[in-house]
Amino acid sequence: MVTETSVIPAVTFLLPLAAGALILFWKGIDRRLQQGLPILAAALVTAMGAWMARRVMGGVVLTTWSNELRVDGLSALMVIVIAIVALMASLYSVRYLRLGALIRRLGEASAERRTRVFYGLVLWFQGTMLWGCVTNNIVMLYVAIEATTLASSLLVAFYWDRRALEAGYKYLMLLTIGITFALFGCVLLYAAAAATRQLSGSSALLISEVRRVVPLMPAGTAAFAIAFLVIGFGTKAGIAPFHPWLPDAHAEAPTPISVLLSGVMIKMALYAMVRTVSIFYPSWHLVNTFLVALGVFSMLFGIVMAMSQDDLKRLLAYSSVSQMGYVLAGVGLGTYLGCYGGLYHLLNHALFKSMLFLCVGAVIHSTGARCISEVSGLRRRMPVTGSCFLLGALAIAGFPPLNGFWSKLTIYLALARGGLWWAAILAVATSVLTMAVMVRAGIRVFWGTLRTPVVPESDVREVPPSMWLPTAVLGALCLLLGLYPQAAYPLLDRAAAALATLGT
Amino acid sequence: MNPSNLHVSLIETLSLIMVITSVAAVEIRRLKLSAIAYLCQALLMAGLLAAFGVMNPALYWWAGTALVTKAVLTPWFLFRFLRGRDDEELKPVIGLGPSVIVACLLMLGFFHLTHEQGTLLAPTETARLEVFRTNLAVASTVFALGLYAVLTRRDAFKTVVGVCLLENAVHLSLVSLAPELPETAVFGVATEVVVTVYLLLYVIGGVRQEFGTTDTFQLRELRR
Repeated sequence: MVTETSVIPAVTFLLPLAAGALILFWKGIDRRLQQGLPILAAALVTAMGAWMARRVMGGVVLTTWSNELRVDGLSALMVIVIAIVALMASLYSVRYLRLGALIRRLGEASAERRTRVFYGLVLWFQGTMLWGCVTNNIVMLYVAIEATTLASSLLVAFYWDRRALEAGYKYLMLLTIGITFALFGCVLLYAAAAATRQLSGSSALLISEVRRVVPLMPAGTAAFAIAFLVIGFGTKAGIAPFHPWLPDAHAEAPTPISVLLSGVMIKMALYAMVRTVSIFYPSWHLVNTFLVALGVFSMLFGIVMAMSQDDLKRLLAYSSVSQMGYVLAGVGLGTYLGCYGGLYHLLNHALFKSMLFLCVGAVIHSTGARCISEVSGLRRRMPVTGSCFLLGALAIAGFPPLNGFWSKLTIYLALARGGLWWAAILAVATSVLTMAVMVRAGIRVFWGTLRTPVVPESDVREVPPSMWLPTAVLGALCLLLGLYPQAAYPLLDRAAAALATLGT
Repeated sequence: MNPSNLHVSLIETLSLIMVITSVAAVEIRRLKLSAIAYLCQALLMAGLLAAFGVMNPALYWWAGTALVTKAVLTPWFLFRFLRGRDDEELKPVIGLGPSVIVACLLMLGFFHLTHEQGTLLAPTETARLEVFRTNLAVASTVFALGLYAVLTRRDAFKTVVGVCLLENAVHLSLVSLAPELPETAVFGVATEVVVTVYLLLYVIGGVRQEFGTTDTFQLRELRR
């Protein structure tokens, strides 16, 4: 592997942070500039992500600031996923966050200030997530992940009503406590690496270096570090049983924020978990069984909870708990096939879950309702949204030939090949339940007789193009990755190779 | 690094008072006094870090960071939040008696763990020295007390005090586990704690406005 020094990994996260600071501290900034900067920043980061991916696929690892930042296949994949989802969420926000509606809800002065804070924090949220994905420093990884919580907490509580405040309090409190465990884990890892005396100076902080000395670490310390890292990062990743913050936060946040939370933030936390815990795979095989078991528990628990939800956003949030279980089961296996399937599902879930949240946001925007029991028959009035929801429901359930089918199939095969038949069977069973839950929700909301409780039925219309276009683009990507699964192969291959330490 | 220069008895005394201030911060029902107990703990922590500075001068810098972030900024936010509100804490789930017993058991348990099973939590040679084991035991006890406060206090303000204790404990444990951690990393961790406390109090201020109370048991809107 060739190492190449580049400034691009730093620019990738500094650009959104700088743009966010501009919006937050320039009080008289024009509203169109507020809306445009997040779109421009996300588009530029997507381009930089594509450039880094191309370099990485050519066998290069990009580093900045003496290896403090490091971009390999896995980091490049995460940057692209975050950038694409952030771009779609930013485009969607322009019409979703209508000033008129906000003024009615929050008052004129408050609405103006809050929209400025919204766009500024969205950029900081994006920037901190990107920082976490490119840093190679184990303590800075914690700092970046906690920074994502801080940047997004006021976004979760954006509407500042009783429900939003309750969700915001729980979000901030539970994630802060959870991530403190991760800090303990990171510090233990650093201390154990430094104690081996194989690494000089601050290189014991670099994940790429710590990996080399893991076999020399005491068993007890390794066990404690793994436990703390799994609890800490697992809380942020929404893995059951550490998930209680997730349904509340994802449901109460404005839809573009729900997209960022469910579409990318929880994945970025899972990235942090596997980036640190995977270095123990070759020495501690029990870790793999533990992670797969945790993943299977999460997938089953999430879908069982989703079955009883009437609120569409809560249903999608519990479904995220379930789908993150698939990703964890795949990457936790530690084999190339498992990591490939897990990361492929991470990419796919980012696409279809973001699309599903955008569809629900469109339903809320057009009808003012968000419960399954309140609306029906929207298909004729909202054909694009209805089609995209059904596509997303089938993709998330793993229906062939959509993208979710291929990633789930890869995970089943990897589990079976690893001898974990019980896990493979439970994963298939969860997919069947997912199909039932998601398709049932889609049919009840979009088929049948037109019925809306808040807005008169004659006023229900498809959302404007700036809202349905991002949804349709994500839908097209789901179809593309389903019909041509090999399109993502070169990057996923590099990303899986960075994690897989237990052979094929 | 020369541990023989350390004032062991001073460090152990400060460590013991750290645990006492933690129990006080959690248990005192008057919120302003609870915040004062936290302030005392923050000052003690800066003093402890400075006492370890004899061995490693970089820790003087840590002591300065702790003084500014934990003994100045955080208490400022806490007192500002309490201005003009009822000073009496809402009745907690578990009272004083059981809490003191829990604190004693935690202390004994962590002292046993760090002295009998030291290698589990303290992988470095320095961390196996008596004074660092005590430091680690104290840090673990304060951490557990912070968690205990978050779980058993109904008043949202007290849960923030619990989070402050958690963060103090992690900061203190770094002395034993990672005394050579670069200043930038320590600064990053300390800054985030301050921002977390500020944001938590800001959101709780909103909760107080909307719900008319800071009772976390009243936050049941999302369960309906």
